[in-house]
Amino acid sequence: MRMRYSSVFGAAAAAVGLWGGLFAYQQVGFRVPTEYDNDGAPIPPDANATTEWAFARLKYASGGHRWYSARSWVVDYPKADRQFVQGVRRLTRIDTCSGERVIDLDTDEIFYWPWVYVVEPGQWRITGAQAARLREYMLRGGFMFFDDFHGTEEWQQFMLGIRRIFPDREVVDIPDSDEIFHVLYDLDNRVQVPGIQYWYSGRTWERDGIEPHWRGIYDDDGRLMMAIHHDMDLGDAWEWADSPRYPEPWASQAYRDGINSIIYAMTH
Amino acid sequence: MFEWLLNHPWTAFARGDIVFLSGWPVWLLAGAVVAMAAVLAASVLRERSARRVVLWSLQAAFVALLLLMLWRPAVSVSALKPHANLIAVLIDDSHSMSLRDDGRSRIDAARQFLAAPAIAGLSARYGVRLYRFSNSTERIENAAALQASGSATRIGDALDRIAADAAGVPIGAVVLLSDGGDSSGGVGRDTVSRLRLRRIPVHAVGFGRESEGRDVEIAGAAVPLRVLPGSRVEAEIALRSSGFKGASARLTVRDAGRVFASREVALTGAVQDETIDFSAGEAGAHTLEIAVAPLAGEGNTANNRVTRLLAVDSRRPRILYVEGEPRWEYKFLRRAVEGDAALRLVSILRTTENKIYRQGIGDPRELEAGFPSSPEELFRYDGLIIGSVDSGWFTESQQEAIRRFAAVRGGGVLFLGGRAALADGGYGRGPMAEMLPLELPGRHGTFHREPASAHLSAAGRESPVVRLIDDPARNAARWDALPVLADYQETGAPKPGATVLAEMSAAGRTMPLLAIENYGRGRTAILATSGTWRWQMRQDHRDQTHEAFWRQLLRWMVTGTPGQVTAATPRQVLSDETRLRLRAEVRDAAFRPAPDAHVEARILAPGGRESTVELAPKPDEPGVYTAEWNAAAAGSYIAEIIARRGDQELGRDAVTVLREDGVAENFHTAQNRELLESLAAGTGGRYYHPSEASKLASEIEYSEAGVTVRQTSDVWNVPAMLLLALITRSAEWLLRRRWGYV
Repeated sequence: MRMRYSSVFGAAAAAVGLWGGLFAYQQVGFRVPTEYDNDGAPIPPDANATTEWAFARLKYASGGHRWYSARSWVVDYPKADRQFVQGVRRLTRIDTCSGERVIDLDTDEIFYWPWVYVVEPGQWRITGAQAARLREYMLRGGFMFFDDFHGTEEWQQFMLGIRRIFPDREVVDIPDSDEIFHVLYDLDNRVQVPGIQYWYSGRTWERDGIEPHWRGIYDDDGRLMMAIHHDMDLGDAWEWADSPRYPEPWASQAYRDGINSIIYAMTH
Repeated sequence: MFEWLLNHPWTAFARGDIVFLSGWPVWLLAGAVVAMAAVLAASVLRERSARRVVLWSLQAAFVALLLLMLWRPAVSVSALKPHANLIAVLIDDSHSMSLRDDGRSRIDAARQFLAAPAIAGLSARYGVRLYRFSNSTERIENAAALQASGSATRIGDALDRIAADAAGVPIGAVVLLSDGGDSSGGVGRDTVSRLRLRRIPVHAVGFGRESEGRDVEIAGAAVPLRVLPGSRVEAEIALRSSGFKGASARLTVRDAGRVFASREVALTGAVQDETIDFSAGEAGAHTLEIAVAPLAGEGNTANNRVTRLLAVDSRRPRILYVEGEPRWEYKFLRRAVEGDAALRLVSILRTTENKIYRQGIGDPRELEAGFPSSPEELFRYDGLIIGSVDSGWFTESQQEAIRRFAAVRGGGVLFLGGRAALADGGYGRGPMAEMLPLELPGRHGTFHREPASAHLSAAGRESPVVRLIDDPARNAARWDALPVLADYQETGAPKPGATVLAEMSAAGRTMPLLAIENYGRGRTAILATSGTWRWQMRQDHRDQTHEAFWRQLLRWMVTGTPGQVTAATPRQVLSDETRLRLRAEVRDAAFRPAPDAHVEARILAPGGRESTVELAPKPDEPGVYTAEWNAAAAGSYIAEIIARRGDQELGRDAVTVLREDGVAENFHTAQNRELLESLAAGTGGRYYHPSEASKLASEIEYSEAGVTVRQTSDVWNVPAMLLLALITRSAEWLLRRRWGYV
């Protein structure tokens, strides 16, 4: 009897373990936690200084079946932000602090930050009130930088939110001639910038997002209100730019792309 | 009375000299008076008392009077020789003389004056020439030729005509019959000088009531000569009212029937200055009607409106904005102006240490090398904005060029706040320091990224530069309700001549936010923040406050910026006047006066007739050219002035002039006694009321003009002397009896 109970418990435990393992595998995909992690970013001394510009990361509600879906806004946070800011500081005359700012979409805080970074928008779930706030934000002159979402499924989820924000405005491919690709660095020869899944998969794309897309929505005066980086992961490139395993050309392009977007937002 | 007491009119004494016919020296008279007074004193003042001093004074006065009579005083005066002189009688024959005062027209009153026996009797002693004048002056045979229909009154021209006639005939005096309503701006100093040179006195006889009665009049109105489309325009209006003190009247500005602005004013019963501001319309020449609505019981309503021209420029001034670092203020300032068809913003932004980003450029080579290195290149712009740029980034010659940009070129320069601006950017020293409207602290660390709230100063409440809403009270409230600024910069006190339009409160202090001043030929301003972008990001996207603020401020900067050729005319509206005067100031590319240019005006007259007039250089003003032209017909005239140096065109500019008829005589209809009195006094004549015809007739002979003789008449025997003698003796006798000194 004991043996039978043990067998039953063992079998159940094995089943739960197998199910759990399969679930974890499904959620994480090819992404395997490594010795590098986001928690390792130290807080710089002037992180809270008041400056002209600061890396403003949008905090939004999200959902989905990925392991990070519940809090997708924190992906790469805060190391990517802080490393990118170092580049902004070194390469431009923008007055910035070394720390990032987290902007809660449920408050009007966003109107103090005319440039915001949105990671993993393929997971976002935004309400009507939040969509109205973002619409107003961009019509007043705010600029949104979307990054790190991949494939058809995440695009569709992203577009659900965009349609709530701008039901009538078209998302278009940004032409190479647009100033956002030339305002500081000429970015005519852009390539797909992969996340660190490349280390394990050897592929620059994720899911079915084989080709990278730089897209946006223009306002009535022909100015970009958002830069949508679909099928690429600039956040990872910033975050792992200090790793010898991450190829330098991709990191450089990610910095240039990000800096161009900031200068564009501060000039248009 | 005066004449009865002294046997001569006052004029004889005023114009003549007192002489003594006894031939004895005057000092002897003085000595005798003193000696007699001393003798009397020895006798009367034995006792010292006030009463004896009075008695002694009366006795001494009597003795002095007797001595004076012994010396035989007389008046010697130059007088017109009878039958050898002409008296010119100038009669105002303008429309205003047809106005009726007390049931009789002024021209009828003038006819009656001429018919008075004393005046008519003048022809027995002198030749009398009658002239009528209004727009022009002409001789007439008699008063029947008077019509009171002239559309203007030119007293100066009429007097000039008399002065010219006096060269050929002996004109002994001028009698001017007028209400003084001169429509040419008064009698010039040259005219008065010419008359004084010939010693011709002008005796003025004033007609018409001396106050307006119950009337409201637009006594004057001034609008800017030219503005940019959409600018706030401030019309300054002088309103004269009488008989309506405390009443309310509505002032309105219309353009082709469309109301631009309208507001109620409370009448003071005197002359009052009012301002009314409005938004200029589209580019082109606008004929504005500035009117005050007629009031019930108002006698003359033809003077309730005036016409003024407003030239709304079609040019699009270019403003160069140099910014030292990417900033939100840069972005939002650009966005505010981008939709403005009247302004063009060209900018250079230092994105990195070695790169600049240009926006708004006209061609790829513009500003390719960064900030202009020569004055000629910089002076192509009309305005300049200097952001957070360390002053050391500019070379010394560039700094001097910036100073000259305002001082000589006449451009507008705006300095913004920022971490490398104003005091923190080293602007408190060097050539640019003197062009700032505010003093700057002599230290760094004046820029603070802390919120500051903006509000208007007392001057700002009245200024159209910071007008976001038409109503001044609502405008001030709108400023108070603006979102806080993102940052502020400490400055110092305003310099003499500067005006602080807006202030800001931060950290428990109130500091200047926006200060402006005129500097040289241009204007300068400081906006001590880089945080107005919050007005855009913290308000509904449909709110236009941020855009309106920047567009207004930048228009103020460049509206008055001249081109290389600046055309002007002293009057844009010629009311019953035909003389069109043109003036052009011509400068080269570095805005130095160009005295060697060929300047001509192409004048387009009503009916499409074109004329070309060459402007002549003014010898005493290098680079200034003038011309006069006869605008014969009523209507609008456009004069385009073109300046060339060799084959090179230096520039061109245009002025618009409106000539209108039958307007001037409706204004200032009360008698201008002040003008008539000053004219008479300036030429040695007198002002007379029409009832003083006989007085005029008796005084007119005393003149030094024409053919004169010297008249000398005794005055020792005039009644006044006898009366004085009687008074002194009687007074002494009465006082002695009263005080008991027998």
